[in-house]
Amino acid sequence: MVGWFDAYAVSIVDGIAFGLLYFTLAVGLSLVFGMMDVLNLAHGTLYLAGAYLAYALSDGGWGGLVLGLAAGIAVGLGGGALLAAMTQPLAHRGHLDQALLTLGLSIVGAEVFLLASGGEPLPAEPPAGLRGSVEVLGHVYPAYRLLFIGVAGVLALAVYLAFERSSLGALVRATVADRDMVRTLGVDTRRVLFGVFAVGAVLAVVGGVLGAPILGPAPGIDGHVLVMSLVVVVIGGLGSVRGALLGALLVGQVDTLGRAIAPDYAAFLLFGAMFVVLAVRPGGLISMVKSA
Amino acid sequence: MSQLDRRQALKLFAGLGAAAAVPSLAACGGSSLSEDSGSGSSGGPIKIGMLAPQSGVYKVIGDDMINGFKLYLQLHGNKLGGREVDLIIADEGETGDSGRAGAEKLLKQDKVLAMTGVVSSAVMGAIVDMVETAQVPLVGSNASPTTLQGVTYIWRTSYVNDEPGKALGEYLGRTLKGTVYCIAADYQAGKDEVNGLLSTLPKDKLYGDPVYTPFAPNPTTNFQPYLTAIKQSDAEAVFCFYAGSSAVEFVKQYKQFGVNKRLYAPGFLTEGKVIESQGDAALGIFTSMNYAADLDNPANRTFASEYQKQPGWGIPTTYAMASYDAAAVLDKAITIAGDDLTPQSLNAAIGKIGQIDSPRGAWQFNQNRTPLQKWYLREVRRDGGVLSNVLVSELTTLG
Amino acid sequence: MRDGMKGGMKVLGPAAVVVALVAAPFIATSYVISLATGVLVLGLLTMSVNLLTGVAGLPTLGQAAYFGVGAYATALVARSWTQVGVVHLLVATAAGAAVAALTGLVVVRTRGVVFLMLTLAIGELTYSAVLEWDTVTGGSDGRATPAVSPVWGMPALRNDGLVYLWVLAVFLLLFALVAAVVRSPFGLALRGIRDNEARMRADGYPVTRYLLVAYTFAGGLAGAAGALWISSERFVSPSDIGFHVSAMALIAVVLGGLGSMWGAVAGMGLVVLTRDLVGGQFTGDLAGRGVLLLGLVFVAAVYLMPRGLAGLRLLTRRRQALAAPGSEES
Repeated sequence: MVGWFDAYAVSIVDGIAFGLLYFTLAVGLSLVFGMMDVLNLAHGTLYLAGAYLAYALSDGGWGGLVLGLAAGIAVGLGGGALLAAMTQPLAHRGHLDQALLTLGLSIVGAEVFLLASGGEPLPAEPPAGLRGSVEVLGHVYPAYRLLFIGVAGVLALAVYLAFERSSLGALVRATVADRDMVRTLGVDTRRVLFGVFAVGAVLAVVGGVLGAPILGPAPGIDGHVLVMSLVVVVIGGLGSVRGALLGALLVGQVDTLGRAIAPDYAAFLLFGAMFVVLAVRPGGLISMVKSA
Repeated sequence: MSQLDRRQALKLFAGLGAAAAVPSLAACGGSSLSEDSGSGSSGGPIKIGMLAPQSGVYKVIGDDMINGFKLYLQLHGNKLGGREVDLIIADEGETGDSGRAGAEKLLKQDKVLAMTGVVSSAVMGAIVDMVETAQVPLVGSNASPTTLQGVTYIWRTSYVNDEPGKALGEYLGRTLKGTVYCIAADYQAGKDEVNGLLSTLPKDKLYGDPVYTPFAPNPTTNFQPYLTAIKQSDAEAVFCFYAGSSAVEFVKQYKQFGVNKRLYAPGFLTEGKVIESQGDAALGIFTSMNYAADLDNPANRTFASEYQKQPGWGIPTTYAMASYDAAAVLDKAITIAGDDLTPQSLNAAIGKIGQIDSPRGAWQFNQNRTPLQKWYLREVRRDGGVLSNVLVSELTTLG
Repeated sequence: MRDGMKGGMKVLGPAAVVVALVAAPFIATSYVISLATGVLVLGLLTMSVNLLTGVAGLPTLGQAAYFGVGAYATALVARSWTQVGVVHLLVATAAGAAVAALTGLVVVRTRGVVFLMLTLAIGELTYSAVLEWDTVTGGSDGRATPAVSPVWGMPALRNDGLVYLWVLAVFLLLFALVAAVVRSPFGLALRGIRDNEARMRADGYPVTRYLLVAYTFAGGLAGAAGALWISSERFVSPSDIGFHVSAMALIAVVLGGLGSMWGAVAGMGLVVLTRDLVGGQFTGDLAGRGVLLLGLVFVAAVYLMPRGLAGLRLLTRRRQALAAPGSEES
């Protein structure tokens, strides 16, 4: 038993790193989808923007990282507000029109990135002190990924507590569950929606800034991140932060530990797992949205 | 927007769209039911179609290809075979269908004299039938599926997809005492390279079975599970095949996870701008390729120095070099074809050009219309502060 | 009198379109006709998406899987058995329908975004399977096939105009079939399920069974489109059946107007026109920016064409009372 763990220890830890990365990216999408019923296909583009910022602003030291984070928050707020504003007129027109709009925006975003990068994958190195690897219990692991687990873990905890324990979080949860009821209480749900959209976008862009050394800016990454986020959101259950966390950690393990255990089936693991979860629990692991 | 504004805007768009489409709809040169005729114009400029990716993940290679061809034109007064050239670039995209659409435009709308380019093997497969039916020569400068045989109009100045692997196999068998761990991206190019390696590597030098990492629909970006398995094996060295962003991630993570085995690969792993993204993690990687930028022959001295003078082009890659050679092939062939210049006569002339004095050394087409050429071993070193693939030795001649 | 004229207009419009379609190869260039053939083939795929999304209310991202099953089944048949187009159609339709029926058993029990993601999974899993099974499918390099003869005795078609006419003939037949199905009581029931499933259940309709039938039918239609793909392209590779194909078909349905079959085909026509015909004209430094233009068209279309192409009333002055989403034209 110990031998098995030892052989796969690195994969398990790596799975946690990626799980937390996917959580940071997916939680915004889950809330926006579960609450606003808005399908935002430009979500991956937000990650790409963040990763690009990390590349553009990095100077090899901590200053570059801090600058990247600040820029990421600003871009996230702006991007979220823009997306919320553009999807507002479509509020009653259903998912597919939103999909058309946000897909168009994501295509434009991807082309802008292509022109800015020349189509090459861009180098996004962490600050100099974190570029090496550490050795723990005989296993070598990149230092930055270890730190990322810590930071993303704290972030995940903060989001979780804010959502589950604060009164603002209660308001958000109530709006997810039954928007009309909240409106009758006199709350302007549009402000709540805008806020959630903005926070979700900030998490996606900041996720890109922090995640760039692990999943760097390259053509096609926006599509990859979008698909992973959708998978996490659907497995976890729409509109639930707890669900997004569980779903993300599960997906992270399937993608790393799963591939280590069953490399021959690696291409089928992710969607196979999603298929099985949805066939058994169509509402996802934790279902929160009131079925209309 | 009121109903009226929307209608007016729509009418405007429709008008613009129609205006853009009309020139291409007009049936100049016969309708679709008549058989197509080639473009043999006499004396005037000739049209050469370049099918290269200008969108999608292969755009970097497409840019190199276009640069290489354009450099040749630049150094020869924009003429091939004494004739002024109109180079028409069509986007190959990243799918077989987009490549086909680009080829259709070049062949059926622009009616080019010859085509060149093509990065993706899937695109090549998609257009074989079209090119052979149209009887227009395609001097491809990259894509080269191993199954592409028995064609008349398709030439390749690059290589065949299993040759980079083949070139390494005998060398590894000779220099290694232990086994080689084999890992590659799971698509046809990866399988071809591995099969190439296995055809020349002694059977007892392979560690286990080759491992393939998922490539589509989502390319593997986290290689940790595979790198852990490699570390736990007792193989002496590793042979891998990756290109593009996968190459960047694989090389970076190879270093990050502390894999101490020597890494060998077909040169695509470190060719072009990817080496800048890989940084020091790429040092010490050995690659096989039909070209090295520091080869010392007259053709390369001209090519490499002129190439590096161009702003933003960087160090010449095998993609640019093969495209440069494609222009040279067309130059020679058009001269041979003389006054009677049609796609068919041009194709026959390509068969007669003999040896090409290329930056890679001298080579010529073989029976299969691919190069008979030397293969080189290179190592990633810092050459004057810049990371590059430095020539180590000659491996073998293949083709 | 006026009613008779209205009825006449209703027949004249489609008839004029058919005449124009048949006459096209005699007038237009090879290049345009090749693009038009692609629009017809992918238009059938888009119609299968529309049947599920626009008519039955199930948004799908997996129809390319059944399209792929049909195309690869045809490729196998064409390489090893026969080059007769009619046989290809039968085999491909059967294959597409069979796989759809099997996968449908799981999928039609879900709705909304779960249905969407499950169909996405089916599409991606099929793509991966095709890629893995490379001894049969040729893997990422794809499979080339010989030219197709529509029926026994006809020569194999290579001329673009002739291929177009064969594809057009099958397209018109299938379009008429689908139109008939959509107008039938079955089609009306599907729309009822889309609009108010609980009510339909309460009225005693076997909703799941109806949806399964619709899903199987759509799978067969997509399979038939796959056979025509082989007729026209003589090549199939995994990238031709990937996620972006399903996504474009779904987008085309939205562009055309949910529920409208001719809208679905027109929507795909708009995509091909923008990306390939207009985008293909971009050369030099602009080469490859057709995709950017497509993205801009999508954004513009959302605001300018809220009901899609079928919802446009540019040609008539009548302002009809706002119908339910997806006006029931076919």
